[in-house]
Amino acid sequence: MSNVAPVSDGSQDLRVIRVVVNGETHTGMAESRTLLSDFLRHELGLTGTHVGCEQGVCGSCTVLVDGELCRSCLTFAAQVEGSRIETVEGIADGDELHPIQRAFQDNHGLQCGFCTPGMLITTRALIESNPDPSEAEIREHLSGNVCRCTGYAGIVAAVQQAAREIASADGGGA
Amino acid sequence: MSVQTPQHRYVGERLVRVEDPRLLRGRGQYVDDIDLPGMAHAAFVRSPFPHARINGIDVEAALALDGVFGIFTGKDLNHLAGPLIAGRNDYGGATLGSDLLETKRQLLAADKARHVGDAVAVVVARDRYLAEDACELVHVDWEPLPAVVDANEALSDDSPRVDEALASNNIVHKDFETGDVQAAMDSAPHVFRKRFHHGRCHPAPLEPRGIIADWTTGADRGVTVWISHQMAHLMRTYLSELLQMPEGRLRVIVPDVGGGFGLKAHLFTEDVVIPLVSRALDRPVKWIEDRYENLAASNHAREVFCDIEAAADDDGRLLALRMKFLGDVGAYSPVPYTPWIDVGMAAKSMLGSYDIDNVGYTTDAVLTNKCPTGAYRGVGQTVGQCARESIVDDVARKLDIDPFELRLRNCIGDEPRVNPIGPHHYDGGSYAECLRKARDVLGYDELRERQLELREQGRYIGIGICNFMEHGAWGSKTYRAHGADRPFIDLVRLTVEPGGSVVVATGLTPNGQGHETTFAQLAADALGADLEQVRVVQADTERTPFSMGTRGSRSGVVGSGAILRAAEDLREKMAQIAAHQLEAAVEDIEFGGGKASVRGAPSQALTFREIAQIAYFAPEKQPEDIGEPALVSTRSYDPDPTYGNGTVVAVVEVDVKTGIVKTERIVFVEDCGVVLNPMIVDGQIAGGVAQGIGQSLLEQLAYDVDGQLLSGTLKDFLYPTAGDVPSVEIAHVVTPSPATTSGMKGVAESGIIATPAAVVNAVADALSPFSVEVDHTPITPNDVRALLRAAQASSQAATT
Repeated sequence: MSNVAPVSDGSQDLRVIRVVVNGETHTGMAESRTLLSDFLRHELGLTGTHVGCEQGVCGSCTVLVDGELCRSCLTFAAQVEGSRIETVEGIADGDELHPIQRAFQDNHGLQCGFCTPGMLITTRALIESNPDPSEAEIREHLSGNVCRCTGYAGIVAAVQQAAREIASADGGGA
Repeated sequence: MSVQTPQHRYVGERLVRVEDPRLLRGRGQYVDDIDLPGMAHAAFVRSPFPHARINGIDVEAALALDGVFGIFTGKDLNHLAGPLIAGRNDYGGATLGSDLLETKRQLLAADKARHVGDAVAVVVARDRYLAEDACELVHVDWEPLPAVVDANEALSDDSPRVDEALASNNIVHKDFETGDVQAAMDSAPHVFRKRFHHGRCHPAPLEPRGIIADWTTGADRGVTVWISHQMAHLMRTYLSELLQMPEGRLRVIVPDVGGGFGLKAHLFTEDVVIPLVSRALDRPVKWIEDRYENLAASNHAREVFCDIEAAADDDGRLLALRMKFLGDVGAYSPVPYTPWIDVGMAAKSMLGSYDIDNVGYTTDAVLTNKCPTGAYRGVGQTVGQCARESIVDDVARKLDIDPFELRLRNCIGDEPRVNPIGPHHYDGGSYAECLRKARDVLGYDELRERQLELREQGRYIGIGICNFMEHGAWGSKTYRAHGADRPFIDLVRLTVEPGGSVVVATGLTPNGQGHETTFAQLAADALGADLEQVRVVQADTERTPFSMGTRGSRSGVVGSGAILRAAEDLREKMAQIAAHQLEAAVEDIEFGGGKASVRGAPSQALTFREIAQIAYFAPEKQPEDIGEPALVSTRSYDPDPTYGNGTVVAVVEVDVKTGIVKTERIVFVEDCGVVLNPMIVDGQIAGGVAQGIGQSLLEQLAYDVDGQLLSGTLKDFLYPTAGDVPSVEIAHVVTPSPATTSGMKGVAESGIIATPAAVVNAVADALSPFSVEVDHTPITPNDVRALLRAAQASSQAATT
């Protein structure tokens, strides 16, 4: 077929990126323009982080980079060289769901599950910075994460339950 | 032989979902998570113009890029398959007969692009980045043409034609009348009229569309398709026809789906293009829709102009209702449904639970140079409720009758009855009870007092009501009531495996509804098994029997009907084996807790495993009259239509300075018959409510006067966020449906069917002191301010 191109020689602008994801060191290749979301998903195979808009609006791709919430679809992989990244795959403790994850299940805080990884990461950051958030604070904090299925009621209830459980577990340990 | 029906242990319980852990751990598998060896990536070249002739496409520069495997235009592909014609490649999808002007959509537009985003070429490359680079190097010689942007103008004789092959831009006209509407209008003491414009919406699932096709050639030729979709088996049927590939060599797998809402219940051109380019390049090809493509070039929904007339007597009794629905349906018919679905279902749902003798409608669907419109959760019904409930509130306001009271005066009785539009055979409900209950939950009288107090302070809250009905459980008869004689068939296979596990295999294709949980609840109860024994397998054409897919609030009812029938078959066979082994009468065998036991002697029991071991491996222990010992049954269920009902009340506050509308409360009283899992039902309602708030206040698909899309990002098309949606106050009334085996009614769309009308009415109520008419959606802050400015100007003009 005349419109089929010859096979590529593969020359391109590639660099090695080293990051620590969920406590494990990973090394992968990225172009200068490779988005962090694509690097995580397609280079490192961590497909739990989702891409819903590539416009930085929907929040599905949210991860933590050195402890800060980050839209991985608006960040280049090259920018996070040497950083510590946390994704949804790192939330559970082995087989054991994290209290935030359990709370989402208990309160029907997910339906299709597509926004869920971003919601969980964002919730985790909220509870770490504000262990006892009010409903208004929760809604404000989650307002950068869109859910198309649940109407947010289950999500808000889940965050409240998770905050309570984490606080009482911390209190018990102190 | 009469085999005992087990006690319910799980049905009606609020069980958490078994699908959640994998999704919560980031271990779901959506289409874009699948990576095949040698897979290439596709991107589409799309029209920047609403209407333009294509004088040529030069792909040379793009093709020269390293890593580009191939570029295909309409000239390369259109002769291989298609065109796509709604109502033809239908298999149960069409809602129209022969009286529709057919649009023939080519796989890639070759002569003309007909809307912004219309695809004209596809690039396949080593990765998506490269594919998009190459798209920019494809040079299309465009010749822009005048665009048809306004559906009303599109009707005039001198309007440009969206499709020159058709005699008119109006591709379907239908009308209906019962009673004598004109006579009733002429003699009525009050006649009310308004034009309501229901704005363009978008299902906009958070996961856009996506497909991978892997076409192998030679002796083992075949195609495997992974697609984010709602109808695995119908997709196989469509592709089998279009690609001329026998179904036995075509496998469609639907992995986890990040929301569908009707968008993913269509056949799109990309779904055919990707398999064809996989064949041409002899490698798997993936295409993931990006958000711009999703907003510009998938399907929009329900842009409808509604001309409404209502006649009433002095007591607010509605004497006649007439509506004209004019749909602005975009450039092509959506496959399989045709663009009549929005205007048609708006019309078919316009009467709802109202008792009106003289009713008439007309429907027209008009092509424009905009994105096609197709199914979105609550198809047309949202528009029907908005139009009716809006004029009902006008009647109440102008006759100074309380809107709850006016609705009660015009409400039908609870018993099953026939609504002449359709005709719909209503299965009975709680139409007035839901109204009263909503009023109680709301604390209506106090709220009205508070409304007056706040008004004194310059704050404007409004209360809006919608008494709704949801046409659910779509099957053959529901389709017939909507004008199409198309049979539906859905099969479920139920198996007890040798070790006693129960497997439910269904082609119903969920996208967040929790079927792995609810079908397991139902099957466990129907067999008397433990929930943990049951596994649900779904949405893979090679592992599940045929189904028409998940849409139209049908899966719960259809799936449960078939499961109940298959379970009855299995119980019979298992009871025979157990009775023989336990030396008891078959009639005395009862099921529960994963066992069959003798009534009154619970220690005399066999586990499912023990029974299955006999059925599979111990013929000597089987009764002689067992026939085939197979513990498997495949059954179908085609329910009678169900009509869920309810009342939703919205309370909003309008900031008259900024025009911002804040939804303070949503009270949602619903009756969907028997509830399988209340957590999931409430979740469906709350999600639909959020979408309803979004479409009435926020979400907008704007085109400029030339037909250019202005809403191509999520910064322009505004999803409701956690701050925009209150927690819904849900109350249930249960009227078991006599029409279905399970007593269930479809429920998944009620939130979005009903909420927009309530929100529109609440805004109108809030603004009632200003004498403005709320006549469209979405009602943005700009719109509120424009209404108030106009009202101020006219009142000043009146006083000078």
